[in-house]
Amino acid sequence: MTNVSVSWRKWKRKLQLIDLCSLLGMIRLLMLPLCVLVGATVGKAQDDLPADTTAGYVPVISGAFAYVQNTSGGVQSLVPQIVPVLLVPMGHSLLLESRVEFTGFFQRENQSSGPFSGPFVGKVYKTVDYAQIDWVAASQATLVAGRFILPFGLYSERLAPVWIRNLQDMPLTYSIGTAPYGAADGFMLRGVAASLPSASIQYSAFMSAHDSTNQLQANRAVGGDTSIFVPSKRVEAGLSYQRTLEGYQINNEAAYLSWQPQRASIDLKAEYDRNHYGDGYWIEAAHYPQQFPVAPDFFRHMQLVGRMEQFFVRNGGGHGDASVNEKRPEVGLNFLIRDDWRLESSYGKLFSQRGNSNTWNFGFTYRFVWPLWPGRKS
Amino acid sequence: MTDQIRKGWLLAFAASGLCLVLLVAAPGQTAPAASGPGHVQSTASPANQSEAPAANAGETIFAANCARCHTPPMTLNPRVTGTILLHMRVRARLSRKDEKLLLQYLAP
Repeated sequence: MTNVSVSWRKWKRKLQLIDLCSLLGMIRLLMLPLCVLVGATVGKAQDDLPADTTAGYVPVISGAFAYVQNTSGGVQSLVPQIVPVLLVPMGHSLLLESRVEFTGFFQRENQSSGPFSGPFVGKVYKTVDYAQIDWVAASQATLVAGRFILPFGLYSERLAPVWIRNLQDMPLTYSIGTAPYGAADGFMLRGVAASLPSASIQYSAFMSAHDSTNQLQANRAVGGDTSIFVPSKRVEAGLSYQRTLEGYQINNEAAYLSWQPQRASIDLKAEYDRNHYGDGYWIEAAHYPQQFPVAPDFFRHMQLVGRMEQFFVRNGGGHGDASVNEKRPEVGLNFLIRDDWRLESSYGKLFSQRGNSNTWNFGFTYRFVWPLWPGRKS
Repeated sequence: MTDQIRKGWLLAFAASGLCLVLLVAAPGQTAPAASGPGHVQSTASPANQSEAPAANAGETIFAANCARCHTPPMTLNPRVTGTILLHMRVRARLSRKDEKLLLQYLAP
């Protein structure tokens, strides 16, 4: 019995050594071509870039600072926000990037009962929006790893930053495809599938693992997005799909359209979203009066915005969505003091089965781009 | 009743989309790109004929892609241009060719 036991232990040890050796061998085998691939890609990327450009690749901190005073249903909230974005390039093909949001939310102490005259109290919330590494693997493909924003619809990836969005209120359907965390932890492949003078087709495909780490929470999910853009008409149409693979496994779908006609300085965007708990749409138009007959230099910095949106409950709603049907028309007036400073104001009325309410927003946004390292100057 | 309202709005939404497509598909004279506040002027010299086509192509890509989401910056420090374009290449899903043309346009 003892001999058998000793013999088994020897075999076990040998098997462990074989496993370890084969694992190390496999890692070596994988590392070698990976290094060659990375080196070749970086080298090729450097060769591909124009030699006569003065562009520098230094680490950058960009982002925005915003302050919004919101009055919704008679309850006043003060919302200051700092959203820094750190960009650290490593060569011309690797980029480390991260965005963190620091959002203050302050309301009067007796905000639930009135008369809304108490001192403002609240706290600052911190959120890691994304922390990802991007590897430009080929001309038309980029591999993203880490925590990234879910590529769903027009809003979450592209229009959500405070200095980009035309109206500070998020659309009523925003949580469809983004709830509950708005980000994924895993891998994503994205790029342009076809880039022709007449049209280009963009794509994103991702898979996310479950993560319960503080600030990095994510659900297990898969999904993707594809869009076609016609540059001569400045029209883009796209579709997004996402399936959560834990808890209630549900599908989320979106269809969107964006149009900036060349003949008029109008920006039209629309999106339809749906999942198991609800569906809805928003349609938004923004206009810079370029040809205003009086004081054109003043009015061309002004932006008029209008948005109509509606949400319909399905299967009881909730889960990040509203639990009753809602509708909200909203108008806004923004003024660009400079390209980085913007004053903004908006008014919307929420029609809800729980009661209607008015929403006012006043504030400003400032965006910045600062180099963190001395570099080549022109 | 709610379903009827929903169907009505969906129909309106679909009709709006159809009108938009018809409007876009209608032939018409293409006007120069609108220059809103924050429009970046091309820095390519007209005298340099070899750089001009690339700069024009870069300007077209800039106007078509960047302005889709945000107002473009008036100025961009050349030191950060490469980094910002790498970031925007990933975000806006641009090709290497587009990145090159934008580099030539923004930091010639």
